[in-house]
Amino acid sequence: MFSERDFEHYLAKKYMRTEIMPHAFCPGCGLGIIERMILMAFEELGEEEWKRTAFVSGIGCSGWVPLYFRRDAAHTLHGRALAFATALKLSKPDLNVIVVMGDGDSMGIGGNHLIHAARRNVDLTAIIATNMLYSLTGGQMSPTTPQGARTNTTPYGNIEPNFDLMKLLEAAGATYLARWTTYHFVQAKNSIKKAIKHKGFAAIEIVFQCPTYAGRYILGKPDPRDMMDWFKEVSVPLGKAKTMSPEELQGKIVVGEFLHRTDRPEYTEQVYKIIEKAQKKGGR
Amino acid sequence: MSLEPGVHLMQGDEAVVEGAIIAGCRFFAGYPITPATEIAERMSYRLPQVGGIFIQMEDELGSILAVIGASWGGRKSMTATSGPGFSLMQEGLGYAIITETPLVLVNVQRGGPSTGLVTLPSQGDVMQARWGSHGDYASIVLAPSSVQEVFDLTIKAFNLSETYRNPVIILADEVIAHVREPVKVPPLEEIEVVERKKPDVPPEQYIPYLPKKPGEWVTPMPAFGDGYNVLVESVMHDEFGHRIGTDHAAANRTIRRLWYKIEKNVDKISMYEEYMLDDAEVAVISYGSSARTSLRAVREARKLGIKAGMLKLITLWPFYDKKVQEVASQVKAIVVPEMNMGKMVREVERASKGMAEVMSLTKVGGLLHHPDEVLAAIKRVAR
Amino acid sequence: MYMKPGVGVKDIIVSDKLCKGCYLCIWACPWDVFEISKERNWRGVKKPVAVRLDQCRRCRLCEFYCPDFAIQVIIDEEEEKMLKEVEEKYEKPWLPRVEERDRIVKEGVWWLED
Ligand SMILES: Cc1ncc(C[n+]2csc(CCOP(=O)(O)OP(=O)(O)O)c2C)c(N)n1
Ligand code: SF4
Ligand code: SF4
Repeated sequence: MFSERDFEHYLAKKYMRTEIMPHAFCPGCGLGIIERMILMAFEELGEEEWKRTAFVSGIGCSGWVPLYFRRDAAHTLHGRALAFATALKLSKPDLNVIVVMGDGDSMGIGGNHLIHAARRNVDLTAIIATNMLYSLTGGQMSPTTPQGARTNTTPYGNIEPNFDLMKLLEAAGATYLARWTTYHFVQAKNSIKKAIKHKGFAAIEIVFQCPTYAGRYILGKPDPRDMMDWFKEVSVPLGKAKTMSPEELQGKIVVGEFLHRTDRPEYTEQVYKIIEKAQKKGGR
Repeated sequence: MSLEPGVHLMQGDEAVVEGAIIAGCRFFAGYPITPATEIAERMSYRLPQVGGIFIQMEDELGSILAVIGASWGGRKSMTATSGPGFSLMQEGLGYAIITETPLVLVNVQRGGPSTGLVTLPSQGDVMQARWGSHGDYASIVLAPSSVQEVFDLTIKAFNLSETYRNPVIILADEVIAHVREPVKVPPLEEIEVVERKKPDVPPEQYIPYLPKKPGEWVTPMPAFGDGYNVLVESVMHDEFGHRIGTDHAAANRTIRRLWYKIEKNVDKISMYEEYMLDDAEVAVISYGSSARTSLRAVREARKLGIKAGMLKLITLWPFYDKKVQEVASQVKAIVVPEMNMGKMVREVERASKGMAEVMSLTKVGGLLHHPDEVLAAIKRVAR
Repeated sequence: MYMKPGVGVKDIIVSDKLCKGCYLCIWACPWDVFEISKERNWRGVKKPVAVRLDQCRRCRLCEFYCPDFAIQVIIDEEEEKMLKEVEEKYEKPWLPRVEERDRIVKEGVWWLED
């Protein structure tokens, strides 16, 4: 009944701009899996939620993720997605605004907007796709490149320590935090679902395989299947990580739900309260 | 509520705010910077009263992106800044241009380069306002020379930005921003306000960047959440908003339309004022604060029997070649006083095609020209 | 969800249009259903083929890990019907845009005339 020639998966038919697919990602790139996590979250949340969702992304391979969704999407500038998203959320408070950024996009060039969006606790869902380097520009060091790793701008090995996004954002004031890898398919999808429902700044870091650069340069594993095995091997659930020493945690990826708090006021609501207050006073 | 009709004594910075509110501006994002800070301060007080949103962003990179985001959220939006902040906004301005996002940006010019002359006026950014972002695009830039004009042009700027779906820059300067002058606010129904057009076709038939009829340079603009599944794409795109990679034909179509929609409508966009040009032998071409002292000098010259006149450019960009040519063909010489090292004078020279002698009267360091300086220049070329 | 072997699925479709041959589906499949085809398809990809359909337990792990939305386990006629409906409702209305795109490329645009 279906021809294999131009077949698309159910989720693609339902949610994606199939006329511009296949997408531009390399074979085996984990960004496609992140797309699927998002779509499966919406499959469970229902069509109403999907209809009131908008996407914003930055520049990088990861910035292309939402461009394939049949939904309003802004492909902004490198690092600036959260500024656009904050204003969009304020202007249309009923929208679910989902922001997809790379590690360099969010923690490198966009670091300022990242901490301030978390500080304000704006009701956004930030999906941060970490591949441990800059990939769209061809494999340079990023704020998450492991120390010692060789990239195109660290030919003698990376001397810079990493950001721990979870700690950074907790200190900044985010109210929902989780980290998974593309191997943790179901968990990540559930976290995305929770984050969309959460009122406040939610960030989910998803470590994904970039076989083309991270695979070849950092891990010596150009095959996406080997990278998936590696994710399985090095990821440590949060509970277990708490019992481990810093030395033992070297080179591991701690995964789990890091934070879920509801005690901080959400920014959009506060802004609308100010408007109400100003209008009651009637000007003077 | 917006300002009552009548005469109000206002600073230029305040006039921006009141004009914007009347024009329908309901979002402001900014970052404090002298001499534009008062705009943000007053916006933070006034916007919530009319149901608008004010946000102080973490920097100007964020401010301009927030304004773009709010515009796609369906609100008329603006920001205000000065020199260093204007430089930071250039990349974002390019994003607004390629995505055809209406917004208004007020640059209250101060002396540069760099942090520069924080509290003193300048007209040093006239070229940056035209060419500051990378790549090929056209700009709409307006220069007010009185507080009344600040008020009127702010409304005009919103109208132009909605009509052409392009950012509009208001180039004020420290003098205009801080001077207090009476502003006449007409009754609201007499003020023309252009509202954003929304598409009237079903989403499947809406092609976001394809104006179908000749002469209709832009398409209606839905907001996020209206169900049109728009792509606000910073990468070069085709008529659908789809990234085009290396499709040079599609890039050619997009870039040329962004350029033509402004440059081919120059007659409609251009605003200017003429003073005593009918029989003039010497013309002063000026704009912004410089036009204030220039006009005084032209009047003095007339008293001395010199046939002087003035063309005040209100729209700086797109540059109105036709009008300048007309003036050049009629006078012997043109004096161009500007508070910079001579920038718009290049345009005047280019447009006048050697028909008149063109003299540049530069001024830097944060002072306005003294009318006597302009008068001396008029005398020199009149000889 | 059935986890018994041999319960049978109608088909496992691998798209020619979308499959890039990364073989994450093969890596993900715990039941060794797939093999790599000997032949390249028209896009130059040696697609995975479900040679042991009878081993499929309908866990759909191959679908989950395929980054390209290229593979789908079709359990029965019911599912096939549902897929058709989704196609009609969500995808079809947008497809005329492809022709519109071709038309623009062929006929050009008014602002480039003259
Ligand atoms: C202002 C600016 N500087 C530099 C670039 C070039 N650039 C594009 S993508 C990118 C890095 C992307 O890395 P990351 O954010 O980690 O995303 P990834 O491609 O790895 O998914 C850079 C430096 C740019 N587009 N804009
Ligand atoms: S370069 Fe890396 S991140 Fe980018 S598409 Fe290829 S595999 Fe994915
Ligand atoms: S995972 Fe998808 S793209 Fe990769 S080989 Fe399997 S069907 Fe093809």
